[in-house]
Amino acid sequence: MKTFTETLYDAYGQEFAVDKIYFENKTAHQHLIIFENANFGRVMALDGIVQTTEADEFIYHEMLTHVPLMAHGAARRVLIIGGGDGGILREVCKHSSVEQITQVEIDAQVIEMCKEYLPRHSAGAYDDPRVNIVVDDAANFVRECGEQFDLIISDSTDPIGPGDVLFTSDFYQNCKRCLKEGGVLVAQNGVAFMQLDEVTTTARRMQKLFTDQSFYSAAVPTYIGGIMTFAWATDNSALRCANVDKIAERFSRADIKCRYYNPAIHVASFALPQYIIDALNEVCQS
Amino acid sequence: MTRITIERAEKAQQYQDLLQQHGAPLLLLDCAQLVKQYEDLSSALPGVELFYAIKSLPHAAVIQTLKMLGSGFDIATTGEIEMLREEGVNPRHTLHTHPIKRDRDIRDALRYGCTTFVVDNIWEMEKFVEYRHRVGLLLRVSFPNANTRIDLSRKFGCAENEVMLLIQKAQSLGLHVKGLSFHAGSQCPDARNHVRAIQRCARLIEEVYETTGKLLSVLDIGGGFPARYMQSVEDIHSFCAPIREELRKLPDHVRVIAEPGRFLSAPTMKAVSTVMGKAKRGDSTWYYLDDGVYGSYSGQIFDHVEYPLSIFSDLEETERAVLSGPTCDSIDVIAEGVEIPPLSIGDIVVGHQMGAYTAASSTHFNLFDKAQIVAINELPQVTDENVVFLDQPLQSAEADFNQQHTL
Repeated sequence: MKTFTETLYDAYGQEFAVDKIYFENKTAHQHLIIFENANFGRVMALDGIVQTTEADEFIYHEMLTHVPLMAHGAARRVLIIGGGDGGILREVCKHSSVEQITQVEIDAQVIEMCKEYLPRHSAGAYDDPRVNIVVDDAANFVRECGEQFDLIISDSTDPIGPGDVLFTSDFYQNCKRCLKEGGVLVAQNGVAFMQLDEVTTTARRMQKLFTDQSFYSAAVPTYIGGIMTFAWATDNSALRCANVDKIAERFSRADIKCRYYNPAIHVASFALPQYIIDALNEVCQS
Repeated sequence: MTRITIERAEKAQQYQDLLQQHGAPLLLLDCAQLVKQYEDLSSALPGVELFYAIKSLPHAAVIQTLKMLGSGFDIATTGEIEMLREEGVNPRHTLHTHPIKRDRDIRDALRYGCTTFVVDNIWEMEKFVEYRHRVGLLLRVSFPNANTRIDLSRKFGCAENEVMLLIQKAQSLGLHVKGLSFHAGSQCPDARNHVRAIQRCARLIEEVYETTGKLLSVLDIGGGFPARYMQSVEDIHSFCAPIREELRKLPDHVRVIAEPGRFLSAPTMKAVSTVMGKAKRGDSTWYYLDDGVYGSYSGQIFDHVEYPLSIFSDLEETERAVLSGPTCDSIDVIAEGVEIPPLSIGDIVVGHQMGAYTAASSTHFNLFDKAQIVAINELPQVTDENVVFLDQPLQSAEADFNQQHTL
């Protein structure tokens, strides 16, 4: 029996039975694989680390998309950073109030490959007329971009690897410039229990730029080690405090179906465990 | 032992055939010999996990063969990582042993999936703070190595009395030191260095636990297992006897690993060179070969090794000769003052035990082509255009040779 062993940590890890390999691209610089697993369906891993699986991707994609969209309430223009598998795009496209979606992906092949081997992720979203795909380095795109957006969603890889520039102060600064007044930046920010440094580093960088900076969370089974955090940054501090009734009203108006997200989860996801609050307090004091 | 063995002329034919097929100069890589070396060392060190030091001979056929045997790999650079990735080596079976690394070296190793790293000082430890949740560290300790041909204890390794402080520092930085490593030297004449280092590490493991409560669960005993060049060496089973004895005394929780390079790779390659030209100079005949100390024989300079040589002649007479490499540099001499039968242009000279630190350190000086490595006797799963399959080791395969080479 073939197995895939994740190599994220030296002393801890998860292993998948591989029923079938659909795609493998191994170069001297990176290793991408998509395979079938009985529990998680199709699994995509890059450089030995699980990126997404068919079974639990909905948690990640719904939370990274609907929380900022519902909190904002009137987002018309959305920028997606990375997200080549199309999962975020699929969720954004569910919102008929969104008029324009720009997605910046560094590698056009990733999109084509995911359309072919992970078709349920994008579920046809790449054909939506509101979508504009830009093939570029996102760090470069936000540096030179003349447009502004209501919402920027950064769906990047791990900070060790090709996505490292998407965790820098420069990148956050340029994102801020590309946001309309009161716009929101959200970003994938790792599993806090395993890598608390990622939370504090992001907090340190974002707090210098935005008046309201925090994190919200969700547990995604294949991102092992507890809750995944999503970075939240905006200059409109009211957005994070919207109460459950207001969110419920917007959600009902949006008329979309979700499997993880709902208004109660939305509000609750901003509640952070004490160890994260303590770490963030240290950042504030330093 | 004489440097040059004179073999019967007909024995050159097998090499001539290979040269005809692949061109000269060549390095013949015999994977069957590699299998034997691996099995010999495994049985000499039962229970010890072997991580081949690919720096000694970084070649796809070597990696494939060892991978199939279940070996792990000791890597030191991103270039080596790229080679392992190409060969599909599971990164869980690798360790990064270079004590000094740049941040991007660490990131490249992590992206590959190698999460075990060697450190020997505080500045190196600090580089891992950012990755502290992902990595396990081995602390390299240096013990003075009196009896070794190449002393590796000077350039790397912390002093024994720094170990406790470094472990405590690691703890305060949130770093996980999972064990100790040492290097007893290269080409050790006996196992005294290994034994002494194992004893001291055992004591350190105990002291660290008593003082800090930290369990060190890995002991990396490095390499140093000798290959036979001009001098005979103890056979590996008896060489390792005192090491086995000492390892038996370690606590059960300590997993022992080793990083053999030379022992595995040295006997697996022969250099096959040809005489490009000759000249009478003084009382010697100079033979200019198409390979020399800037090429496959670079180990004579960097690795301080003289390789046993063979020439092929049925002539009785001998004369004083110099075997020289092809480059313009006068240092490029393989052997001088040797008494051998006269050779003709096109004749073959074979160097033995030329697997370790030969091709690995050869240069393009003068822009001479490096010797091409031709793998023979590869394990059957591997297919490669460059492969020559043989059923038996080269020396005893003359009869079948021509037949098998009509590819």
